[in-house]
Amino acid sequence: MADTRAGSAQALSGVRVIDLSRWVAGEYATKLFADFGADVVKVERPGAGSLTRAWGPFPGDRPDPERSALFLHLNTNKRSIALDLRDPADREVLLALVRSADALVESFRAGHLEGLGLGPDVLRAVNPRLVVTRISAFGQTGPLRDREASGLVLQAAGGPMHATGQAERAPLRKPGLLEHYTVGRSAGQATMAGLLRARRTGKGATIDVSGQEVLLAGADRRASYLLSASYSGLVAPRGARSPHRHGATFTGPFRAADGFVMVYVTNQAFWDRFVELVGAEDLAFRERFLGRQTVAGRDREDFLAHVAGWIAARPKVAVMEAAESARIPVTAYLSVSEVLAHPHFRERGAFVAADHPVAGRLEYAGPPWRTERGFALRSAAPLLDQHGAQIRAELGEAAEVRA
Amino acid sequence: MSALPPYIADPELPLAGVRVVDLTVVWSGPGATALLGDLGAEVIRVEGNDRVSRQVSARTTKESIARTGYHGGTYPDKDPGERPYDRSALFNWHARNKLAACMNLDTPEGHAAFLDLIAVSDVLVENNSNGVLEKLGIGHDTLLAVNPRLVVARMPPLGMTGPMSDYLGYGPNFNSLVGIAAMDGYEGEEPDSAGENYHMDEAAPAGLAFAVMAKLWDRESTGRGGLIEFAQAENVMAEMGEFFLDHQVNRRDPPIVGNGDPWVLQDVVPVAGEDAWVAWSVRDDRDWRGLHAAVRLGAGLPGPDADGPARRAATAGIRAAVAAWAAGRTAPEVVGTLATHGVPAHEVLTEPQLLHDEHLAARGWWRERSHPSVGTHRYPGHPWRSDDFDLAFGRPVPGFGEDNEYVYLTVLGWPRERYDDLVARGLITDRQLA
Repeated sequence: MADTRAGSAQALSGVRVIDLSRWVAGEYATKLFADFGADVVKVERPGAGSLTRAWGPFPGDRPDPERSALFLHLNTNKRSIALDLRDPADREVLLALVRSADALVESFRAGHLEGLGLGPDVLRAVNPRLVVTRISAFGQTGPLRDREASGLVLQAAGGPMHATGQAERAPLRKPGLLEHYTVGRSAGQATMAGLLRARRTGKGATIDVSGQEVLLAGADRRASYLLSASYSGLVAPRGARSPHRHGATFTGPFRAADGFVMVYVTNQAFWDRFVELVGAEDLAFRERFLGRQTVAGRDREDFLAHVAGWIAARPKVAVMEAAESARIPVTAYLSVSEVLAHPHFRERGAFVAADHPVAGRLEYAGPPWRTERGFALRSAAPLLDQHGAQIRAELGEAAEVRA
Repeated sequence: MSALPPYIADPELPLAGVRVVDLTVVWSGPGATALLGDLGAEVIRVEGNDRVSRQVSARTTKESIARTGYHGGTYPDKDPGERPYDRSALFNWHARNKLAACMNLDTPEGHAAFLDLIAVSDVLVENNSNGVLEKLGIGHDTLLAVNPRLVVARMPPLGMTGPMSDYLGYGPNFNSLVGIAAMDGYEGEEPDSAGENYHMDEAAPAGLAFAVMAKLWDRESTGRGGLIEFAQAENVMAEMGEFFLDHQVNRRDPPIVGNGDPWVLQDVVPVAGEDAWVAWSVRDDRDWRGLHAAVRLGAGLPGPDADGPARRAATAGIRAAVAAWAAGRTAPEVVGTLATHGVPAHEVLTEPQLLHDEHLAARGWWRERSHPSVGTHRYPGHPWRSDDFDLAFGRPVPGFGEDNEYVYLTVLGWPRERYDDLVARGLITDRQLA
C-alpha cells in the first residue's frame, strides 16, 4: 500500500474515507476526519467537480473552481480523483476504493445511488465492514423523502427559526451556511460511531442523516423548545429575550459607540454586578434596581434607556473589558477581520497557513479541538483530479498483490 | 434498588461498556454527553446536593414562578411539582439514558468517591469555567495520574490558554466573538436586529462526541488516554471558514443578508393564518423553471429561461411577486404548489406543529417515555439513525440521586456500611437540597 495509510502520526491515521458528497454538509463531515489524519479520497464529477468549487467567494468575485474559498476551506488534507459513476471502468475504480475503505459519505438525493447501481447493498457486499453515511434533507424514508430543500428551507423545517428575529417581523434564519455545517458535523459524528462499532464487531452500517432531524435535535434551543411544547404546549416566542429563562434576566444586543455588544445577564449575581457597573455614578439608579428580579412597564423602559445610553457612549471593547473586570458576561461583536487579527486567537494558533498551487498561501481555520496526535494541516485542498493517477496506481498495486 | 440495573451494555452499540463521568452543566456539555449515551455508553452524572447543577432550584414553586412573571412552560403542565429539578425541559431535553449519582466534590468523602469512579471510567466530560476542577483538586493531570487510560474532555469556551481564556460568557457571547453575530440580522440592517442565537451551543455536542470517539479510537492503538481541549469558540469558528479566506483575498467582511443569499434567490413570506410563514428558495435554473410553472409572476420579470445574473438583478421584484401570490393562501397550499414543481419550500414550523407532523410520525421520530417524577410525555428523538442498530433511548430522565446505590455499591464496589454512613450524614441524598 501507499505510505498514505502507513503513517501513524495522528489519531485517525490509517483510516480511509471516501467522500462522494458535493456540498457543505458532506464535505465538512469528511474534513473532520481528514484534519485528524484520515486519508479522505474525494470523488468528483469529471470537468465540473464539487458544487462547492462553484460557490466562492472568489478573489475579485471571478469564478474559478480552484479558488473557491468554500471548497478550499472544506477540503483541506483530502485527495481528489475524478470519476464518472456512469462509466463502467470508473465504477470499477470506485468499487476498488470501497474495498479499501472504512467509510463512505454521500449526499445525493435519496435513491440516487441505488439508481446508479451503487446503493448501500452493493457497496457493503463489496466491503462488509463499510460504514455508509447518507446525508439528505428529510431522510431516506417518509412522505417528504423526495422534497427539495435549501439551507433556508431546512432551517424552516427543522431549526428554531420561528423563534428567531423580531416579534412583528418575518422569522429570521441564521447567517452564512451554518445549518449545513451543523448537519455535516452530526454526519461526521455518526460516521465515527459507525467506525468504532465496526472495529469492535466487524460489522458495517448504513446511516441515515436527515438534516431536519439533526436540527430538531439540536442544542440551539430547538430540542428544549420541543420538549417544552410536549410538556405544556409552549410556543417559543419570537423577539423575546431569553424566553426559556426566569429570574433576574437581561439579555440581548446593544449598540456601542463603534459597534455592538451582546449582554447576557442571567442570574442575580450578574444582575447586581451589572447594575453596579452601569449605575456606578448614579446612586438613585442603583438603589432602584439592585436586587430586583423582574423589571416591567415603566421600570423596564427606564432601565433599558439607561443601559442603552451607558453602552452607546463607550467603544465595544471598552464595554466588554469593563464588564469582564466586574465578571459580567458582555462581549463585543467582532468582525471577521477583527477575529483574524485578534491577539487571543493569534496567540493560540487558531489559524494555520498552507500553500496551494493556484490559490497561493492562505491562513485556514485551525483545530476545532486539540489533543496529542491531533489536528495537522498537511496539505491544502486538492486540485480537481490531482491524485487520480496516484490513486489508480495504488489500487492497481493492491489488486496485483491480491492476485 | 430496582430489579434490573440502570445500565446494561448493548453489544450492538458503538460505545457499549464505555463509562463516561459527566460533570457538565447548563447546555452544550450535557448535550454532548447525551450523544455518548445514545451510542450505548454508561453516562453517570455526578451531582452535588448542595449545587444547582440542573439549572433548577429545589425551592422553585408555582408561586415563586408567578412572582417573576415567568410562563413556567418548561415544566409539565407548568407545574414544578415536588421535585422541580427532575421536571424541567431545560435539563430533560438532554437527560435520556443518563444515570445520576449524588456526590459532593467539595467534601473529602465526595472527593474520594470521585477518584474511585475515575479509576474505573473511560471518559470524563466537563464544561465548567477554567480552574473550577483545579480548585476541587481534580485537574486533568491529577485524574490522568489516577487513570492513564482516561480521556479527559474539557470544554472551555475560549480555550485553556490565551488572553481571553477566562472571559465569562454563554453561547450568544461567543457567537459575537467569532464573527457570527456581526453577520446576523435583517437584510441591510444593523446586526442587533437579529437578537440572540445560540449557535455555539448547537455546534459543540456533536463536535465533542466526535472528539471523544476519535480519542477512544486512538487509545486502541496507543493504550493511553489523555486531554482533549475542546475550545467551543474554535469549534464553531470552522463554520466561518470561507469568510476568513474571503477576507484574505478580498479585504472585506461578510454583509448582512437576512433571509437572502448571495447566490440563491429566496425569502420568507407571510401566508394566511396567525404568525404563519413559508420559506422558499430558487437555487438554479431547474428551480427557476419550477417557480414559473407554479406561480404567475407577472409582466416585467425575467422569463423561465432567464439565467442566474438576470434573476439576481430582479430579486426584489421576484420576491414581491411571490409574496403577493402567497398572501391569503394557506401554508399547505403555498408549499404544496411550489413542491409539486420541485421548488424548495417549507412552512416555518412551530413546536406544536412538529408534535403532529406526518413526516416525523412516519419516521417514528418522537419517543413516548415515562418517569415517576415527570409522567408520560413525548420526547424529541435522535439526530440520526442507522438501519443496522438502534440508538439507545431508555429512561428519559434520571431522578436526582436515582442511581446512588448502583453507582456506589456496584460500580465502585463500596461496602454497604460505608455507603450507609454517607447517607446517614446527608452527603448522599436522593433529593437536591440547593
